[in-house]
Amino acid sequence: MPHARRFSATPYLFILPGMLFFLVFLLYPLVEAFRISLYDWKIMPGAVSTFVGLDNYLRAFKDDVFWIALRNTVLYTVVTVPAQMVLAMLVAVLVDALPSGKVLYRTLYYIPVITSWVVVSLLFRYLFDPSEAGLINYFLMHSLHLIAQPIPWLREPGPAMVAIITLGVWKGIGWSMIIFLAALQTIPADLHEASQIDGAGPVQRFFSITLPLMRPTVVFVLIMLVIGGFNVFLSVYLMTGGNPLHRTETILTYMYNQAFNFLEFGYGAALSYLLAIIIFVISFVQIKFLRRPIEV
Amino acid sequence: MTRKTLANLLGALVATALILAACAAPAAAPTPATIKETVVVQQTVPVPVTATPAPVEAPIATINFWHTYNPVETKVLEEKVIPAFEQAHPNIKVQDQTVPYDDFRKKLLTAIAGGTAPDVARLDIAWLPEFADLGALAALDTLMNDFDTYKSAVFPGPLSTNAWKDHYYGLPLDTNTRAIVWNKDVYTKAGLIGAPKTIDDFLADCAKIKAAGSTCFADGGTYGWAVMPWIWSMGGDITDPKMTTSTGYINGPDTVAAYQLLKDMLDNGYLDKAILGGGLDTYGAFAKDQLANVLDGPWMPPLFASQYPDKAIDFALMPAGKGGPISVVGGEDIALFQQSQNQEAAAEFVRYMLSPETQLALAEAGQVPVRADVADQAVKAHPYFQIFFDQLKTARARLPHPNWPKIESILTDAGQVILRGEKTPQAALDEAAAKIDPLLK
Repeated sequence: MPHARRFSATPYLFILPGMLFFLVFLLYPLVEAFRISLYDWKIMPGAVSTFVGLDNYLRAFKDDVFWIALRNTVLYTVVTVPAQMVLAMLVAVLVDALPSGKVLYRTLYYIPVITSWVVVSLLFRYLFDPSEAGLINYFLMHSLHLIAQPIPWLREPGPAMVAIITLGVWKGIGWSMIIFLAALQTIPADLHEASQIDGAGPVQRFFSITLPLMRPTVVFVLIMLVIGGFNVFLSVYLMTGGNPLHRTETILTYMYNQAFNFLEFGYGAALSYLLAIIIFVISFVQIKFLRRPIEV
Repeated sequence: MTRKTLANLLGALVATALILAACAAPAAAPTPATIKETVVVQQTVPVPVTATPAPVEAPIATINFWHTYNPVETKVLEEKVIPAFEQAHPNIKVQDQTVPYDDFRKKLLTAIAGGTAPDVARLDIAWLPEFADLGALAALDTLMNDFDTYKSAVFPGPLSTNAWKDHYYGLPLDTNTRAIVWNKDVYTKAGLIGAPKTIDDFLADCAKIKAAGSTCFADGGTYGWAVMPWIWSMGGDITDPKMTTSTGYINGPDTVAAYQLLKDMLDNGYLDKAILGGGLDTYGAFAKDQLANVLDGPWMPPLFASQYPDKAIDFALMPAGKGGPISVVGGEDIALFQQSQNQEAAAEFVRYMLSPETQLALAEAGQVPVRADVADQAVKAHPYFQIFFDQLKTARARLPHPNWPKIESILTDAGQVILRGEKTPQAALDEAAAKIDPLLK
């Protein structure tokens, strides 16, 4: 006799609290932001907002600053992601090989990750001060005698991006390192021992055993870092504010400026949706092409 | 891992959109600020018909007052001004809240959008037209039947920042302006006796100051607060008086000349590169005699004295050009919000903040009063107020227009393009005019 399907409320009640949070704090804002992006949005309660369709999206494509912001965001991601991954891998392998003091070094490298973006951004603003009084300039000019004139760090777009990217890499290494370290510890020691007997050196072992076995982890870190890179905001906002002349603007700083400074909430919402679409597509492509079974 | 990655991916997607949506509150249901009041319900005791009924206690109205007073000023407000007000008005309670200046405009906008605006706020004068245009502020000239008494008691310059279209949406609360603060030691070293009166003399002095090894002048950027004194003093402006067009004004010959002046000063090394961005410790440079002049406000003397007690400072008016010695008006207005549930009580508080006693009490903490009738007394207590009162006679307010934030952004960018030598002043300002004109419609 087949089981009669009986309705039971219990599982739904268990889901309910989480579901409510999801609906109220994730789904509702998501839908609402999309709706806002289709309007010339007025923030006053009761004010009538005009429906403009996709105008806010089209406006972005004709907006020079949007393209500058997109270029800077891509540049930031393209430089910080590989730099973080290579350095983090190096640190992870070195820390893993330490005979003692692993916890100490792991903690030291992780400290930048848990410090506040606000605090370190302000610190970096002082470090990269464009005058002679900035610590980096002082060091380069008076301790190392490498430069005769102070570098206009946060005053010119190029050097400013260098400062922003330096902060991003420095702060991000620890996170990737921790994940790489965890993956390193799952690699069976007998593989290394066997290859050692076969005469493989440490470099060959790294590229032939360690790296292939860590592939899923590397792909995971890559995807997460790319998402993080595209979402760069606080460091830029606090170090340059997108200046000079919007030339260090990133998508999120530009979105924030449009929405909260100029009250262009419709345009701001459209910008954030454009960013979301870009991230979604890139991540989808990464998952599709980079994920495959481990092969040694 | 697929699931995890996808979940993360979705999470990121959501988070991006969320940042924005979370802040833009739904517009559908404005929730008026609920004012918690304690109403004592009295037990009705049967009384003989002949007895007179007991007087009904008026319910206590609580008004919220948001401001950006610094700690010294807040102390005066909370320990002197508010207690005195509450004593005189036993049925009104004032709850004040200090908000950091940088967050204040955004916090207010968020509160307005969410229907939780304060009753009264002390706003930067540059923001008032924007909030008035949004419909967030109550027109004080219709709400207060004695508005004209206050209108005639305050200085006209600061008052003008409260007008938008046909109404006044606030009253000035404190005022300030920028005057030249000059470094006597540097001037003496350069063989000069006193501060220059005209822009021509200023340039001549700058040459000598540079020869003596100091920078003549510094400012922190090309925003309105920094460049407007030069534009006005050179006889230029950014729009016509009625704010209908900027073509012919921001790209007119006088404004172009003002920017050319700044560009020449920068190229000659008279003007510090900090104007291109990335700060300079002006007080430190001034104290070390690296800097000869700054434009600064009345808050500077007490601050400077606390950091560099041994260094004397002197004041002078903005050097005069074709337009006169014109500086920029700063300060704050007090405004009452449309969403307030206690407009009568709030108006009473506005009156009190504008009273001579309150103005003098806050002057003790360094706030320059806006009432002409207490100016003399305030100067007696703080002699350095005098130069700012003199400068205020000709000082002007930044464009009182709701689109000022956008206009200022265009102005700032034009200044950077010019000073960085990417375009001639005329070309950059022609472009700025084309961008500003539609914003004035």
